[in-house]
Amino acid sequence: MTDSLLSRRALMRYGAYGAGAAALAGVAAGWDRLTAADIPGRDDGSLVIATLGSAFNPEAQRALRDGFREVHPDIRIRINPVQAYDWSDFFSKILTQIAAGTAPDLVYVATEGVQLFARRLGVPLDRWAKRDAAELRTYFADVHPSLVESMMYEGSLHQLPVEFNAADMYLNSRVLERAGADLPDDDWTHDDFTTLLRAMKRSNGDRFTPYFWTNRLWGGVVPWLFANDTNLLTESKAPGGDWLWNSFYPEAQRRGRGGGYRWTTPLADSDRVAEVYDYLSSLVQEDLCTRPEGGDGRNLVGVFSTGRVGVTPAGGFWAGGLHQAGMKPADYDVRYFPRRRTRRHQFGAAGYAMLRTSKMRDEAWEFIKYTARKDVMTQLFAANQTTPARRSMVDEARYRETGPAHWQVFYDTLDKIPTSGPIPAPPQVNEVEQLLIKHTGTALASPGAVRPALRRLQGDLEKAMEREV
Amino acid sequence: MTNTEIRPVGPEPARTRKSRGNRRTGQTRKASESTAATTIRTRGTRLLAVLFLAPTVVGIVVFTVVPIVGSVVLSLFQWDVIDDPRWAGAANYREILTDSTVLVSFRNTLVFMALAVALQLLIALVLAIAVNGRMPKWLRSVFRSAFFFPLVLSAASISVVMKYLFNQDFGPVNWLLGTVGIPSVPWLTSENGAMAAVVLAYVWQQFGFSFLLFVGGLNTIPKEVHEAASLDGASGVRKHLAITLPLLSPTLLVASVVGIINALQVFEQPYVLTAGGPGDSTRTVVMVIYETAFEQLRFGEASAVGVLLFALIMAVTALQFRLSRRYVHYQ
Repeated sequence: MTDSLLSRRALMRYGAYGAGAAALAGVAAGWDRLTAADIPGRDDGSLVIATLGSAFNPEAQRALRDGFREVHPDIRIRINPVQAYDWSDFFSKILTQIAAGTAPDLVYVATEGVQLFARRLGVPLDRWAKRDAAELRTYFADVHPSLVESMMYEGSLHQLPVEFNAADMYLNSRVLERAGADLPDDDWTHDDFTTLLRAMKRSNGDRFTPYFWTNRLWGGVVPWLFANDTNLLTESKAPGGDWLWNSFYPEAQRRGRGGGYRWTTPLADSDRVAEVYDYLSSLVQEDLCTRPEGGDGRNLVGVFSTGRVGVTPAGGFWAGGLHQAGMKPADYDVRYFPRRRTRRHQFGAAGYAMLRTSKMRDEAWEFIKYTARKDVMTQLFAANQTTPARRSMVDEARYRETGPAHWQVFYDTLDKIPTSGPIPAPPQVNEVEQLLIKHTGTALASPGAVRPALRRLQGDLEKAMEREV
Repeated sequence: MTNTEIRPVGPEPARTRKSRGNRRTGQTRKASESTAATTIRTRGTRLLAVLFLAPTVVGIVVFTVVPIVGSVVLSLFQWDVIDDPRWAGAANYREILTDSTVLVSFRNTLVFMALAVALQLLIALVLAIAVNGRMPKWLRSVFRSAFFFPLVLSAASISVVMKYLFNQDFGPVNWLLGTVGIPSVPWLTSENGAMAAVVLAYVWQQFGFSFLLFVGGLNTIPKEVHEAASLDGASGVRKHLAITLPLLSPTLLVASVVGIINALQVFEQPYVLTAGGPGDSTRTVVMVIYETAFEQLRFGEASAVGVLLFALIMAVTALQFRLSRRYVHYQ
């Protein structure tokens, strides 16, 4: 090379020097790892609380922060709303923050992540709950034990639930009217459900979908599995937890309670699971519902409120959304999920989990206690975007403006159907959910696809559950 | 060759390669040193050159070389972010090479790449030729902006819109098809439909880049060549096949190399539109990397998949350059 200022060999040499220097720098940096917390101003001694961005609106977040400051002026708090599409996405982002060295002290975690966080990152709340038992008595008296049990892991309490949603069934009144049907009974069955869907389809034309469902852990196949007295994974209860039940719940309510749920052996290739998939497959074939992949909750409010969908499973969170979409309380109503072998419902709850990395555990506990107060929860859940975990808050006044008329269903799903339980969410929940979504799509692709897909689901679930998390 | 000469784009002329080949005798070296005597080669100037090059070299080393080396190292460990990494050796590679989801994702990615790149280049080329034809200047600007516009949008937001458009039950695409009597197409709910939707969403966003390259390439083709061909009686199609395409081949090479590298790393469109489904039919390699790492906390295995993808991209790119010697013509 004659026209260059630098020979190729020299360039290579300098490049190698540069690479060597960078590699050395990398090794040096890795020795005592620099983290995002080392950025000036990041670690200002505040109690950092990560929430799912859309869980609370800005006003509610302000109320949370300002209200807490009034009670605890000595504790600085910083709310870190993490924008995420769903819980799985949210957990991924929290784990990324932890890997970056900016772990929050508290994380808002739903049932999907309770065991994952409890097993790997969480701090049991037992000692604080025992210490402040007198203060917590009114809280536990107001919260259904099923919700509390869903927040326990291997005998320890990991969160105080502040909200929950059970999969009840929303029905569009205008669509019912066009079909000449009445609101179904409380005790309706899946056969009644099919008959209703057929009537809706007949009276609402081709561009109408009677039943809309999403393909995910909450509100997808699982409520149908629960109604058929089965589950995705074998369910049992961990021992322990007596310290809590004996302290806070009367005899009748603590009977049969344990130290939290265990989900172990997969049941995907069982006959009862296959029955559920066969039923859903028949609905798809008959064009009575969306295909699983087509269902996406993001446009659901729009199509339901405009009468293009008749029925969909949702929790109390939907009342606020439908109200915002312009629906009047009389435009829709809510019923239990249709029964099959049982009337058991699935639910998901959420609360704050304390992370092991936190150096401000006592302060974090104060915040957890604060958010479980009724006046605070009233401010947080003013918009009816969820069902408060406190029974006394689910009252007529709350639903007068937004509806539905049968709002009692929301809490009765726990009170009147005490077998209702959380969605199966072991520590391997992310992989379990992925596999469920993937194989459900394949299972419902054609009438003969159910059993082969369930066999593959079973195999993959077994592999996932054997994996150490 | 002097310092003022402009080098042609592409491989060096044969004589340069030949002259460089005789390294053993040292004759070439001596010749270059004697010519270089006319150039500035003081120590200060060399230092200046190094200083100018340093930011780029450091950038490449820090942001490309170190992460690649890091990924290779990480692929030999089991790591879940929370606890310290544990040595795994080749176990991660054994695991992923027997995992049907990983293997299917490689197949899907290659199918996607073939469809998307072919369609993207074809659409971009046809539109570039059309826009480069006779039309008012303002209209040409409108078309150029319109075709480039999707490229500046976020792939995720485009995919959200596409998801709505392609919805089987409520989407406008099926509604439009219905108005002309075509039955509802299961865009996102059948294996072929889902792949088609992902490819369409991707191509719609990406073809603007190739389009701009082709417009630039077309402008470098001398008008006289086309005029001469016209005088010889060549038809429009013949002119494009015999003149435009060969002279545009260097641009085609660049567009295809960039297109293939991008397509092999596709993530947002299948992630948002289909979540990899139905089944695994649209699950791509980068989706598997994301899911394995960030959803299942298996960073070692995810890195191993990343290393395999890196090797695949390198191999495909090398193959393209090797083939380009035969099919790419430089003026």
